[in-house]
Amino acid sequence: METSASNEPRGSDAGSVSSGLFDENRQTLDIKREKVCIEVRDLDLYYGNDQALKNVNLKIAHNRVTAFIGPSGCGKSTLLRCFNRMNDLIDICRIEGEILIDGKNIHDRDVDVAEHRRRVGMVFQKPNPFPKSIFENVAYGLRLQGVNDKRRLAEVVERSLRAAALWDEVKDRLDDNAFGLSGGQQQRLVIARAVAIEPEVILLDEPCSALDPISTAKVEELIQELKNDYTIVIVTHNMQQAARVSDFTAYMYMGELIEFDDTARLFTNPRRKATEDYITGRYG
Amino acid sequence: MSTPGSPVLTPASSSLPSAEAMARRRRRRYLADGAARWMVRAGGGGVVVALTLIFVYLFSEVLPMLRGADVEPVAGYSVAPRFDGEVAGMMLERYDELGMRYSRSGTLSYFSLASGEVLQRVELDVPDGTEVTTVAMAEPRARRVAYGLSDGTALVVDHEIRLDFEGEQRRVLPDPQFPLGEDPLVIDPQGRPLVALAVQKAGEDTGIAAQTDDGRLLLVRFRTRTSFLTGETEVSRQAWTLPELEGRLDLLELTANLWTLIGADRSGRLLYFDISDPASAVLRDEARAVEGGEQLTALRMLNGTFSWIIGTSEGRLSQWFLVRDENQDAGDNVFRLTRVRDFEQHPGAITRIQPEYTRKGFAAVDDSGALGLHYGTSARTMFLESISDAPLVSVGISPVDDKLVVESADGRLSVHDVRNNHPEASLKALWGKVWYEGRGGPDYVWQASSGADSFEPKFSLVPLTIGTIKAALFAMLFATPLAIAGAIYTAYFMAPRLRGYVKPTIEVMEALPTVILGFLAGLWLAPFIENHIPAVFTVLIGLPAAFLGMAWAFSRLPRAIRLRIPPGWEAVILIPVIALVVWGLVQLSPLIEIWFFDGSMRQWFTDIGITYDQRNALVVGIAMGFAVIPTIFSIAEDAVFTVPRHLTQGSLALGATPWQTVTRVVLLTASPGIFSAVMIGFGRAVGETMIVLMATGNSPVVNFNIFEGMRTLSANIAVELPETAVGSTHYRILFLAGLVLFALTFLVNTIAELVRQRLRARYSSL
Repeated sequence: METSASNEPRGSDAGSVSSGLFDENRQTLDIKREKVCIEVRDLDLYYGNDQALKNVNLKIAHNRVTAFIGPSGCGKSTLLRCFNRMNDLIDICRIEGEILIDGKNIHDRDVDVAEHRRRVGMVFQKPNPFPKSIFENVAYGLRLQGVNDKRRLAEVVERSLRAAALWDEVKDRLDDNAFGLSGGQQQRLVIARAVAIEPEVILLDEPCSALDPISTAKVEELIQELKNDYTIVIVTHNMQQAARVSDFTAYMYMGELIEFDDTARLFTNPRRKATEDYITGRYG
Repeated sequence: MSTPGSPVLTPASSSLPSAEAMARRRRRRYLADGAARWMVRAGGGGVVVALTLIFVYLFSEVLPMLRGADVEPVAGYSVAPRFDGEVAGMMLERYDELGMRYSRSGTLSYFSLASGEVLQRVELDVPDGTEVTTVAMAEPRARRVAYGLSDGTALVVDHEIRLDFEGEQRRVLPDPQFPLGEDPLVIDPQGRPLVALAVQKAGEDTGIAAQTDDGRLLLVRFRTRTSFLTGETEVSRQAWTLPELEGRLDLLELTANLWTLIGADRSGRLLYFDISDPASAVLRDEARAVEGGEQLTALRMLNGTFSWIIGTSEGRLSQWFLVRDENQDAGDNVFRLTRVRDFEQHPGAITRIQPEYTRKGFAAVDDSGALGLHYGTSARTMFLESISDAPLVSVGISPVDDKLVVESADGRLSVHDVRNNHPEASLKALWGKVWYEGRGGPDYVWQASSGADSFEPKFSLVPLTIGTIKAALFAMLFATPLAIAGAIYTAYFMAPRLRGYVKPTIEVMEALPTVILGFLAGLWLAPFIENHIPAVFTVLIGLPAAFLGMAWAFSRLPRAIRLRIPPGWEAVILIPVIALVVWGLVQLSPLIEIWFFDGSMRQWFTDIGITYDQRNALVVGIAMGFAVIPTIFSIAEDAVFTVPRHLTQGSLALGATPWQTVTRVVLLTASPGIFSAVMIGFGRAVGETMIVLMATGNSPVVNFNIFEGMRTLSANIAVELPETAVGSTHYRILFLAGLVLFALTFLVNTIAELVRQRLRARYSSL
C-alpha cells in the first residue's frame, strides 16, 4: 500500500464526502488485478422465508481493507457473518451459493467450523471481552488450541497487544479484569485477542459504533496497521470511516450488492444513482 | 420535558395538556412515587423485623436453659424441741406441704414445712435393750428407710402420705406404712449388731444388704404376698451370706434390680459385688475412690441406681458407674468400677448427698455450711453457696425439685425454695461427647425421652446436626450435577421450542408437595432400592456409558439420518435409551445378585460389616435431590441463559468449539448465578422436613454411611415437639434445635450472598 488514509485529514461535515478526503496521488485500485482472498458466488441467504441476501457476487482482495456500507438492515452484517459461518448459529438461517476463501468452499463437509473461525477472526460491534484478566483474554484463543506454555503465551500476548496498540497502556496491569478497561481499550483488546491466533482474515462488524471519537481514531489507525498482515473486512455505518480506512467499498441495499469498487472511486464517482443518493445523504 | 423557565419552542397548538393539569399530574406522580418508596421500605423493614422477632422468640425460649439455679430461704425453725434425736435423713412429698425427718434413735416425724409444727411422730418399735446402729435409705422414689439394730435385726418403714379432701380443701396427711410388718426383721440369725446397711425396693421385693460387726456380709430378700381371700400379708424371707471380706465397710448401696452391691469404707476403698446370683456372689472389682489423705464421707445412688456419687472429706464429688470391660480376655458381662466425672469442689467435707427423684441431679451439703446442687449428665454445678455458718448435716429434696430442707449442726432446720429447671442442658451436654450411664464411653447421643423416670435423657445436638448436613449433602450430591448439567444443556444447546417444554415442566416439579415425595420415597422407593441394590450401581455406571455409546453411534450415523434430527433435539432420542437401559439394568439386578452376591446384596453388605437400613441416605438423597433439582435447575438455567450472546459469539469467533465456549466462558460468566442456585438448593435441603421425616428412618446416628439413615433437626422438631412437655428442658432444646437450624440456613445464605457478590463483581458481564 503506497498511501495511508490515516495521514489524511478527516472529514467532519455529515452527509457529503469531499474529494479532498482522498490523496490525489492515490492510485486507483482495480479488483481484477488484486489477489483474491474471499470470493462470494451467487449467494442467497434466507432467514426462514425471508430472503436477507440476494444473489451476491463479490471478491475481496488480499491484504486490503474492504468496507461494507449501506442502510440498516441491508444485509451487510449478515454477509460479513457468512464469512466465518457465524450464521450457522441461527437455526432458521439457510444459505445457498458458494463462499470461497483461498479457493476453498467454506461450506465443504471437510471444513472444521472451529478451525475455520480461527482463520477468519471477527470483532463485534460491542466490545466483548471475557470476564477474565487482560492476559487471559488475549491468551484465550491460544489456550483453545492447547497452548499452555507460560512463556509462549506471554510472548504472543505482548506481540498481539503491541499489534493492537494497547501494550503500553496495559502492560502493568495484565492480571486486572478486562472490564476495567475503557470501551476503546476493550475494543482494541478484542482485536488483540483476534490477532493472537494468527487469522488470515479479520472481520470487523461496526467496530467503532460504541466508541467515542478518540477511541475511534485509535481503532482506525490500528486498522491501517493491520492491513499489512491481514485481509480486513469492515462493516460500518459511518461513511467517513469507510472512506478513511478502506481500499474497496461495497454498497449494499435491501440484501443486494448495489455497487462495489475502489473506495475513492465509489465515493467520488459512483456509477449507480442509488449509491450516490446514499453517500451524499439523500437517503439512509 | 424541559424545566419551566428554560427556553422552549412551543408550537402554536400543543398536544400537551394545560399547565395546571400537568402540575396536578406531577403532584400525583410524586405522591405515587413517595408512597411506593415508603411501601418498599416498609416491606423490607417488615421482613427484617419479622426475622428478628422469630430470632428473639426462639432465643427467649432457649434462654432459661442458660441460667443457674436459685435457692431462696422461705422458712426456718429450731430442731429442738420439735424433733428428738440426731437427724438420719429428711424427705419431702410432692405437694411441698409436709416434711419427714428420721432420727438416729428411730423416730419418723412428719412436720409442716411452713410452720415446723410436728403433725405426727412415729416411734419405731426398737426392742428394749437394743439400739439403732445404722440407717439406710432406698432410692427416693421408693420412700423406704431401713434401720439396722444391734441385735442383727432391721426395721423397715415407708414414709407414705395420703390425701384427704374436706370440701374443696386438699389436705396432705401422714400415712406411715410398714410393708414388712412392724416387728424387727431378722437379718443376721447370729444376732450380731449390723454396722452397715443398704435397702432397696425391687418391685414387690425388698432387698437388704448388711455387714455385721464381725465383718460378715449378708443379703436378705423379703417378698410380700397378699392373700386374695383373707387380705393378710405374708412375708417370705431368703438369705445369703456374701463372700468373706477383709475389713469393715462403712457405706453400702444396692441397685434397684438387686444385682449389684456397692460397698465403701472411709479410707476410700470402693467394692463392687456381683449379686445377680446371690448364691454365688463374687467381688468383681475394687477401686480407690479418693486421693491420698482424703476420706470418703458420703455415697449415694442417683435416681435409677445406675450410678452413684461419692463425696470426700476434701469436698470432692465424683460420679461412678459400672462400665463393661471391652477387653477380650475379661469374658462376657464383666463390668468395672469407673470414675466418670467430677463436680465442682465443695469448701468443706461432704456430709450428705441427696439424689433428686426423677432426674440425675443431687444436692450435697458439707461441714462448712455450703449447699451444692449438681447434675450428673451435664456435669453442671447449678448452685454452690454457703447458706449457713454451722456445718450442714442433712438435706432433703422435693420430688418436684422445687423445695429443699436443710439441717445444720447448730440445730436449725431451714426450708428453701429452689428454681432449678434446666440442669440437663450445658454446652458440653449439647455439643460435646457425654458419658451416659451404662455406656462404654463418651458419645454423641440423641435420645430425648423414654417411659421410665429412671431414664437419663440424652440431648446431644451433634447427631441431629450431622444428620441434617448428611441429608442435605447426599441430596446435593444427587441434585447438583443433574440440575446444573441439565441447566447448561437446556440453556445453551437445546432447541428453543424444546426448551419451551422442558423448562416449565421442571419448574412445575417444584410445586410437587414434598409430603408426596417423602411418602413415595419411604413406601415405594426405599423397598424398591433394597430389592434392587445392584441396579442402583449399574445404573450409575451404565447410564453415562449408554449416553456416550449413543452419542458415538449417533455421530457415526449417515449424515442424511442425522440431519433428520434438528439441532438441539438430540436429547429427545436419549429418552428411550434411558428408559431402556434403566429397565434392563433393573431386570438384570436379581441376576447380578445371584451371580456375584449369593442371591442377596443386602445380606452381602451385612456379611462384610456394612450396615444397611432400608430407609437410608441413598433414598433421601434421591427423593430430596428430586425436590431441590427444580430450584437449582431453574436459577442456574436462567444464569446460563442470560450470559450475553456477544460473549459466546466472541468465543466461537475465536475458534472455540461450543463445548470450549461453555466451559471457559459461559460457566465462568454464569458462575455467580450457578453458585447461588446451588446454595439456595442447599438451604432448601437443610430446612426440608417432610421428605426426611418419612424416608430417613429418623435414627439419630453419627456417620456418613450412605446405607444408613439419619435424623435431621427439622424432622426431629416435627416428631418430638407435639409430645414434649411445654417448658421442659426437652421443649427448650427443641427450640434450640430450631435456632440452630435457623442459624445454619442463615449462615449458608449469608455466605452464599457474600460469595455471589464477589463472583459477580469479578465475572459479571457487561
